[in-house]
Amino acid sequence: MAPNPEDRAPVEPAKPRTGHRARRVIFTLGGGLALAAAGTLAFDSALLPGWITGSEQTASLEADAESPFFQPPPEALIPDDDFGAAVRRGRAIFTNTSTNAGQHVGNGLSCSNCHLDAGREPNSAPMWAAWVAYPKYRSKNKQINTMEDRVMGCFSYSMNAQDSVSGGPPPHGDDIYRDLESYFYWMASGAPTNTAMAGGGFGKIDKPALPYDPARGEAVFTANCAVCHGADGLGRKDLNARYLYPPLWGADSYNWGAGMHQINNAAAFIKHNMPYSKPGTLSDQDAWDVAAYVNSHERPKDPRQTGTLEEARLKYHDGDQSYYGVELDGVMIGTGTPRPAAPVGN
Amino acid sequence: MFRKTTGTPRPEIQRPDENFEPYEEHSGIPMPVLWIAIALGLWGGLVLLDTREATSVAQEERVDQVVDEQVTAHDDGRAVFAAKCATCHQPDGLGVRGAVPPLVGSAFVAHGPQIVAQILLRGIDGPIAVAGQTYDGHMPSFASALSDMEIAQVASFVTRKWGGAEGALPEAEVTPLREAAAGRQSWQGGAELATIIAGLPAQPAAGSRTVGQVPQAVSELVFAGRGEVWACASCHGDLGQGAETTPRLAGLPAAYIVKQLQDFRQGHRISESMAIVAAGLAPEEMAGLGAYYAALRVPSTATATLGADLARGEALALQGDWSLKVPACFSCHGPSGFGLAPVFPALAAQHAAYTASQLNAWAGGQRKNATLDLMTHISTALSPQDRRAVADYMALLPPVPARTDPQAARNMEQDNGTQP
Repeated sequence: MAPNPEDRAPVEPAKPRTGHRARRVIFTLGGGLALAAAGTLAFDSALLPGWITGSEQTASLEADAESPFFQPPPEALIPDDDFGAAVRRGRAIFTNTSTNAGQHVGNGLSCSNCHLDAGREPNSAPMWAAWVAYPKYRSKNKQINTMEDRVMGCFSYSMNAQDSVSGGPPPHGDDIYRDLESYFYWMASGAPTNTAMAGGGFGKIDKPALPYDPARGEAVFTANCAVCHGADGLGRKDLNARYLYPPLWGADSYNWGAGMHQINNAAAFIKHNMPYSKPGTLSDQDAWDVAAYVNSHERPKDPRQTGTLEEARLKYHDGDQSYYGVELDGVMIGTGTPRPAAPVGN
Repeated sequence: MFRKTTGTPRPEIQRPDENFEPYEEHSGIPMPVLWIAIALGLWGGLVLLDTREATSVAQEERVDQVVDEQVTAHDDGRAVFAAKCATCHQPDGLGVRGAVPPLVGSAFVAHGPQIVAQILLRGIDGPIAVAGQTYDGHMPSFASALSDMEIAQVASFVTRKWGGAEGALPEAEVTPLREAAAGRQSWQGGAELATIIAGLPAQPAAGSRTVGQVPQAVSELVFAGRGEVWACASCHGDLGQGAETTPRLAGLPAAYIVKQLQDFRQGHRISESMAIVAAGLAPEEMAGLGAYYAALRVPSTATATLGADLARGEALALQGDWSLKVPACFSCHGPSGFGLAPVFPALAAQHAAYTASQLNAWAGGQRKNATLDLMTHISTALSPQDRRAVADYMALLPPVPARTDPQAARNMEQDNGTQP
C-alpha cells in the first residue's frame, strides 16, 4: 500500500522536534556548566598553562619590575634560636661597627656605609653575593682567601684598624668573624654557591670618555654630594655627635689600602648607589670625575707600607686607578693623615 | 501520542484496561546527564575540601597571631624599645661609640625602672658619664610620645634586660612621676641626675644653660605681626607647635626655615598665605624667626590621625624600602627624625596631616623646592598608603631634644650658610 502523503505528514510534526530541542538545550546548558566547573577547578588548582590564564605574563612582569637580583630573606625571618642570635649580632656589627667591634675600628665608618641596606642592596657589594664567592684566590695578597681573611682585610683597610684601640683587625677565630659570617650565610639562604651572582660587587661602569679629572669632580661633588657629606667631605654628625653621613676622606675615613680608594671601584659605587634615592643619575663621566676628586684627598696611610711611599706604590698600587704615591698639584698623595694622639674609641 | 484521523480501515486497537494508569516507561539516565552530575559532584566535593583546607590554614594563622599577641602583650616594652629607642641606643642596648650612651652596664639603668621612667619623661641635655665614658647627651623627652603604660613597659624592659634589676614598674606609679616632671625642663646631664640617684660615678658638671634673649622685633613678629604679615603664632600656635596641615615649627633648623620663607616668597613653594607673609619679611627678619623657632623646645601635640599602618611607617623610617629605591627616612633626617641642619628638617613630632600633605605635594609636583630634588623620587615611589603610614609614625615620635650646648649646635649647623 502506497503511503498516503497525508498520512505521513504528521509523522514528523513539530512536537517531537520540540522534545529534541529541549533535550539539546538541557545537554548544552549542563555540559557548559560542567565545563565551567571543570575550568574553574583547573584554574583554582593552577593546572592551566599560563598562556591561557595570563598569570604567567603578569608574574614575569612583576618579577622584572621587582628585581632581577637574588632576594635575601626578609629580616623578620631571622630565626629565634642560637643561630639567629649570631645573625643578629653580626647584623649589629655590620651596621654599627664602631660600637660592636669598636676595639678594631680606627675611623668613623661602618660596614653598611658602603654595603647599603645592611649589605642587602645589589651593586653595593651585597654580602649574599660575597658569601658564595669565597674561598677564592685574591691577587691582593696572592693567597686563597677565606671569608674570614677577606673580612680581616676590610678591618685592616676600610675600617683603618691600625688606628684602633687594639691596633689591628680582630685576630683569626674571633667571634666577630663568626657573627659576621653567620649574618652573611643567613642572607645568602637559597643562593647558589661558587657562582658569580648578578648584582654582586659594585657593578660594572664604563670607562669615561675623557680621562677622569678631580677638578671637574669637585664641581660634581659640590652640586651633588656636599649637601650630605659636608662641603669639606668630612661627613656630617647629628646633635649627639654621631656620624650620620660618613667622612669621605681625612683621618676618619678609609685608608689607602681600602678598595674604595681605587677610583674605578669608587666610581662604580657612586654610579650605582649615589645619591641616596637617586642612584644612576650621575653620568659615567661625572661618577669617575667625582670618584677621582674624593680619592685625591689625603687619608690614613696604607698599613702595608713599610719602606718608602714609592716602594709601596710599586708593590701594592702599580697599575691601580689611584693617586697613591702620585704627585698632584705639587703635593705627594698617599703619605697618610697624622695618626690620632689617642686611638679612636676605647 | 497521536492518532491517525483518516477513514482507512482501522487496525484493531488494543485498548488498555480502563483501570490502566498511564505511566512512563523506565529509561536509563542519559550518559551526558550522568557525566554532568558526576562533574558537578566532583566540583562541589573538591571545593568543599579546598575550603576546609583554607579554613584550617586560617585557623592556624589565627592561633599563631594570638600567640604572637600574647607574647608581645607580655613583652610590650621590647616593641616600644625597638620602635622608639633602638635608633639611638641600638637594638642590643650598646649605644653608639662616642655619641649615644650604652644601656648595658649603665649605672643609671641599674638603679631601676623609676629612674629610667624619670629620664624618659624629661629627657637629658647635658654631659653624662656612663660606663666610664662621657657623652654630650641629648635625649628627647618622651612625655608627649609615650603613654603611662608604655613608659612603664619600656622602663621595666630596659632595667630587666640591661640593668640586672628585677621587678616591673606599675603603670600607676608613672602617673605621679609624670605630674612631677610636667613643665620642667630636661635633666641637665648626669650632674642633675646625681641629685636623685645616690652612688653614681663622678658626673661631669653641667654647663650653664645659656638661653638667648629673643629680640623684641622677632617677638613682635611672632605674636603680633605687622600689617599684611600676620603673627606666626596666629596659625602655628603660641609655641610653634602647629596643628593639622599647619606645620610644627619648633625645633626646625634655622637655615631650613629661612630657605622655606624665601621659597614661598619666590614661588618655589606654593602657599597663598605664606607667600603674602614671606613677601613682607626682610632677610634679617627671616633669619631672626628661623633662630627663634630652631631654639624652641615644646612638647609634641601631634598624633597619628590618618589611621595608617604604623608598622609600615616604622619600617620606612628605620630601614626604608630599597626595592623602591627609598632609603630610610632616618638615614637623612637623623636618627629618630631629629633633622640635620640646614637642609634636612626635623620630622619628629610633626603633624601627620602636614607630613602627608607635603609628601603628596612632592609626588604630585606641587612642591619642588627640595635640595637635589631628593624628595620627589621618594614621595613618588611611595604609595599614598605609605605616605600616610610614615606621616603617622613621625607624628608619634618625641620632639627634637634641646641643644643649648655650643658644640651640639655646631654639630647641627656646621655647614650652615654654605648650602643653598
